[in-house]
Amino acid sequence: MTDDILYSIRNLTVDYKTRAGIVHAVDNVSLDIRRGEILGLVGESGCGKSTFGKALLRLHDGPASIPAGELWFDGRDLMKVPMKDMPEVRGAEIGMVFQDPMTSLNPVQSILEHLTETIQAHEPGTSDAAATARAEELIERLGIRHERLNEYPHQMSGGMRQRVMISLALALRAKLVIADEPTTSLDVIVEAKFLDLLKELQEEFGLTILLITHNIGVVAEVCDRVAVMYAAKMAEVGTAEEVFAAPKHPYTQGLLNSVPNIDMDEIELYKMGGEPPSLLHPPKGCRFHPRCPQAMEICGQQEPSFEEIANGHRTACWLYQAHEAAARAKEAANG
Amino acid sequence: MDTNIEKIPTTPPDEITWEDDLKKVGLLRRLLRARKWYGADWWFVAISSLAVLFFILVAIFPSWFAPYTPDTLVGPRFLAPNEIPAVSVLIAPSDSTISSLKDLAVDENADRPKVAVVMGASTSGDLNDTAKQIDADLISEGNGLRLRPVIERYDSLDSALQAVADGTDAVAVIESTEFAGVSQNYTSLREAGSLTGEVVSTSTKGFVMGTNDIGQDIYSRLIYGTRIALIIGFSSSLLSLFLGVPLGLLAGFIGGALDRLLSLVMDSLYAFPGLILAIAIAAVLGPSILNIIIAISVLYIPTYYRIVRGQTLTVKEEVYVEAARSIGARRSEILGRYIFPNVIPSVAIIFSVNVADAILTGAGLSFLGLGLPPTIADWGIDLARGQRFIQTAPWMITFPGLAILLVVLAFTLMGEGLTEIFNPKLRDR
Repeated sequence: MTDDILYSIRNLTVDYKTRAGIVHAVDNVSLDIRRGEILGLVGESGCGKSTFGKALLRLHDGPASIPAGELWFDGRDLMKVPMKDMPEVRGAEIGMVFQDPMTSLNPVQSILEHLTETIQAHEPGTSDAAATARAEELIERLGIRHERLNEYPHQMSGGMRQRVMISLALALRAKLVIADEPTTSLDVIVEAKFLDLLKELQEEFGLTILLITHNIGVVAEVCDRVAVMYAAKMAEVGTAEEVFAAPKHPYTQGLLNSVPNIDMDEIELYKMGGEPPSLLHPPKGCRFHPRCPQAMEICGQQEPSFEEIANGHRTACWLYQAHEAAARAKEAANG
Repeated sequence: MDTNIEKIPTTPPDEITWEDDLKKVGLLRRLLRARKWYGADWWFVAISSLAVLFFILVAIFPSWFAPYTPDTLVGPRFLAPNEIPAVSVLIAPSDSTISSLKDLAVDENADRPKVAVVMGASTSGDLNDTAKQIDADLISEGNGLRLRPVIERYDSLDSALQAVADGTDAVAVIESTEFAGVSQNYTSLREAGSLTGEVVSTSTKGFVMGTNDIGQDIYSRLIYGTRIALIIGFSSSLLSLFLGVPLGLLAGFIGGALDRLLSLVMDSLYAFPGLILAIAIAAVLGPSILNIIIAISVLYIPTYYRIVRGQTLTVKEEVYVEAARSIGARRSEILGRYIFPNVIPSVAIIFSVNVADAILTGAGLSFLGLGLPPTIADWGIDLARGQRFIQTAPWMITFPGLAILLVVLAFTLMGEGLTEIFNPKLRDR
């Protein structure tokens, strides 16, 4: 494992127990998050990307569990950390920004209380004055007047609240911030400002950001690398340039084609056929094969592995690894 | 070209909000404006809270308001509100020296003196009682004198007085206020004083709410009864709050088997008709203030439990709770700083309505004779007493009933008003 990798997720599986059976919302996913990058995680609704983001903090409870996987964060496996010690990791080392800024702050606590509580929870020795000073400095940096620290969440706009959420992660110099669709409920102007801020902060603090979104445009704007998820599996990972310029996986190609483009020649937007599969009964073989325009025989029989096809560019598709395995499959069919 | 044109300015612009506006105005204006913003009727709450405060003051310092203690027998029985208590006086011929009934005492064998009374007046009772008392005193003195007047009943005041003027009867016993009107017709008669010879009380004050069946002042009993009513209302509500809220929080937060078990118990309690359950508990425990408080609080624990549990289940799923976990808050912190403060407003509101309910139930238990020992001044007991005389002395049951009504109304209005203020969703309903 090289040192420039901050978070190395290996074979992570997250299960939900439902009455109909066990659903693998994240199924055997591996991903490396490099130090100081903004990694975009895209996929359709329900493909498991939010579950994946929460699993990185082991935030699951109730029907969800993590039956398998390793979470190597900064040199230690978080799966081996006892659950009662996880609060020390959360916030201090990995922060999270949630989708809906309207409801992600405690309505009965002022912004200042949010910040000082976070600081003092992880650094118990900090005096009130010192914590307040840090909160003021931080909030000014994020473009909110420090006089407004004593206000309550309902007195702030959505963009401001989202900045407050970021400040909670920055308050403790978290190494990794997981932003789960942070701009979904913001309008385009606030969204653009917020993304610029993310980018600035990433450069200024050397922050690593995992940006979970279903908005390809957002990824194109700010991300260094892109990971594409489909039906609880990782479909493709690569640098933003490569993935956008030359997408390998047919799903990624479809996804990019379905984004409206001003230079488009065609009148109709590309529409991917079919629907995302039920995770309760995923299709055999490659999960995308029922919708794939380039599906082959083997795609329905055997699952492709997640292989590196160029430097740092990985995809799980038989189109690029058909040789041996396809041959084996043919042999098996003949034999 | 500068591509960073959308960058957030490092010095944020001055934002003018209505909160800033509000800081510039005085308290009165702020209240008036707040009324507009919250859409709730502040006066509603203000008046009912003043009433509640007044009742609390009365309960703490009853002696400031009550002229008598609740147990003293202050006057005649069944005196209607503001009725001036009648005093019996002797009317004797002007030339006689009679100044009290005792002056009518004669030797055992002599003719018994004749005394005139008006038929149906309460004075004959007084005459009888006083004469017997004096007679008993005379016997114990043992000098042969006795007082056994022959009571002559006349059907009008005039004929009774005429009989004295004629010399048929020795004296007349009438009510003190009656003689003044007719005295000019009977120049030969004079008011000889009270039956016992003591100075006739010139007090013309009645009792604001009358007296009860044993001659206690109903108004004073009401004032002292406030204390019991509020003690029962507050303590039983507080007791059920202190038990119901933590149980609801734990059941909602922890869930699982604990939740199912507690919910089963609470739902069973809730399924009983309220008063019947309280009657059963009070009957088992026996009459005392503490027991009535326990009985009523058991009744209301499920109310708090259900509301707090429901709220906890909702708040637990809020994003800010998950966000709190993501910044490393521990379970105890989440319960104490995130869930509890978001749940407690609804508890505060039901508390005030609950106090009203508890007062009503407490009065109900006393009315049925299951609540308090009968020596205590309590509205429920007064109600039960008054019920027996509802036709002859309706004031006995009216005033305790009104007192209960007012207190319950004040608490309920305050609770409802607060609900509207704190829950704007109900505003337009």
